Amino acid sequence: MPVKYLRRAYRSFATHVYDVPPRMLAFLILIILSLIPLTGLSLDKLGILTSANVIAILAVSWDLLVGRSGQISMGHAIFYGAGGYGAALLFRYFGWPVWMTIPISLLISVGIAVIVGIPCLRVKGPYLALVTLALPLAATGFLFYYSDVFGGDIGIPLTRIFPLSLGYVGQFVANYYLSLSLMAISALVVYKIASSRTGVVFVSLLDDELASKACGINVTKYKLMAFAISGLFGSLAGCVQAYLSVRVTPDFLDISISLIPILVTILGGIGTIYGPLVGTYIYYLMDRYIFTQLVPVGGMASLLIFMLVVVIFVVKWPRGIGRAVVDKLEDLQEPREIEEIEEKKVKLFKRMRNALAFLIRGLRKRKEKGET
Amino acid sequence: MVLEQIIILGAITSFVYALMALGFTLIYGVSGIINLAHGAFFVLGAYIFGALSNLFSSFFPAEFLYVVPVLALIVTPILTGIIGSIFYRLTLHQVLGDQIATMVVSLCGCIIFQQIIWLVFGSTLAFRFSIPAILPGNFTVSNVVIVNAQALAAVISILLFASLWIFIAKTKSGKAMKALSQDLEAAMLVGVSVEKMYMLTSAISAGIASIAAVFYVSMTGAASFYMWLQALALSFSIVILGGLGSIKGTLIGALIFGYATTIFSLTLTGAGGLVTSLPFIVMIIVLIIRPKGLFGKRIEME
Repeated sequence: MPVKYLRRAYRSFATHVYDVPPRMLAFLILIILSLIPLTGLSLDKLGILTSANVIAILAVSWDLLVGRSGQISMGHAIFYGAGGYGAALLFRYFGWPVWMTIPISLLISVGIAVIVGIPCLRVKGPYLALVTLALPLAATGFLFYYSDVFGGDIGIPLTRIFPLSLGYVGQFVANYYLSLSLMAISALVVYKIASSRTGVVFVSLLDDELASKACGINVTKYKLMAFAISGLFGSLAGCVQAYLSVRVTPDFLDISISLIPILVTILGGIGTIYGPLVGTYIYYLMDRYIFTQLVPVGGMASLLIFMLVVVIFVVKWPRGIGRAVVDKLEDLQEPREIEEIEEKKVKLFKRMRNALAFLIRGLRKRKEKGET
Repeated sequence: MVLEQIIILGAITSFVYALMALGFTLIYGVSGIINLAHGAFFVLGAYIFGALSNLFSSFFPAEFLYVVPVLALIVTPILTGIIGSIFYRLTLHQVLGDQIATMVVSLCGCIIFQQIIWLVFGSTLAFRFSIPAILPGNFTVSNVVIVNAQALAAVISILLFASLWIFIAKTKSGKAMKALSQDLEAAMLVGVSVEKMYMLTSAISAGIASIAAVFYVSMTGAASFYMWLQALALSFSIVILGGLGSIKGTLIGALIFGYATTIFSLTLTGAGGLVTSLPFIVMIIVLIIRPKGLFGKRIEME
């Protein structure tokens, strides 16, 4: 009975996706993104999009931890690096294939995330921001000290995910689809978590921790859970990027890895799941394409202009671009008040009348001129 | 020998660190803003000092060359302070009260200043100063060689701490700052202009950061445009360790951090990268034991 299932799938799509404009927009964007390799885009641009997909996973995980649960983390690179180095070390010492290294490295990273989460049970706000900011800096020192294990500056080499028989172009396309599907799956899972009961509890931690404690919520458990989930997706991004760039280097713990998710999330809208995604693509579009290829202003000036743009956006729209767009879309969906509709109709009518009057006056004048 | 070295060099390092962190704690104490752009003003101060002393040295004849660094040291904090208050007014003042937006905007500010410095002073990684040290030479105290400039840094740091304390305790603007930190609305009611006082505070904090930068650079010998991260991490850690907004706590935090780095770098030779990570680990442990820092305000009952 495949037809029955198809019909059921179509009906659930129609009610859950098609009728909800933000979800429909996300679906359309996903389809456009998945059709991009067929348009014959040059390989370097495909590479840019691939890394944008990976960073989007990291940004979504940051948004879950900070925008939803209110635990300010300024060192998400620690999860990214844990994922990358975990996979690389497992590959180096045990020679395991991809499908074993990534899950086990994710498990290890979740453990690390819980350990990182333990100090956050006592430390709050700006203090927590500093502790998390300092963690990657401290970890980098260890990487260089035990450079015989971690490979020091050179890092640890890895294999490719897909066999070489795919060819040069095939590798790029396969990597792109892998990163795109992982991005879509992680965004969907995080969206589901955020809209479930757990997600609501996370928001209660952000709003008022004491009140949620008074309601009988186990704050410790949910905080650690937020760290674990966020660490899981952050390290997934690290693992995938490690395999995509075929090498893990101390750059994985660089401050810029911690900063990019923060910037893109603020740009797109904090506390939403689509915000970081929108922000990431805007960031990559501006950073890697507009200011480097379309209007080449030089590497130094491009970062400067991008930062200026971010500052202006944050100052003008503190709630983010993504949220502004989705607010507009949700306006479309919700039935408006009748008075409001009437008001708009009256406004539209007046505007049309004015335009007509203007036109008629203009025609008359021309006529008068023609007559004289 | 090693013990004496630790005591004397540790004290000097601590005072320079304290100067670095002073502005950061001042602006948090007065306005509650976590101004991460502090690191940018630090680097900006170092480069402005270098540029000014290059500029001035072409005006003065060779026998008056000792005037140059003194003059530059006076002009640098003024210029940096003006830039700092303009930066505050244009960006941070717009997102007042939103902690995450403040952090992001000020971090973007750091990178903006980094790129501007890079564009203006060239892409070479290190920018060495072609100026004579403020006080060339050195002296010896119980077998420990101390460079004069470092001793001067410690002295000026103590003087600045004292004058800041007098400024806050005695002058009208200082009292207004104190009032703002104690009760924002009440201070506004009695006619304190929030905008002006916050601009003044950010100017003072940027100015102090630039002086700290000059001494830090004369200690290490080279400045680079990406130094802001190091400076920011250090001053943030010191301030957090002592408790946000507490000047006494900043001094104690700087002493702990300064002595920790001195001890680690003098005794753990060959540890390499560990020297940079150990102070952070010390800080994380202290924070787990005392979540609001050593002298921070206690967690208020909500």
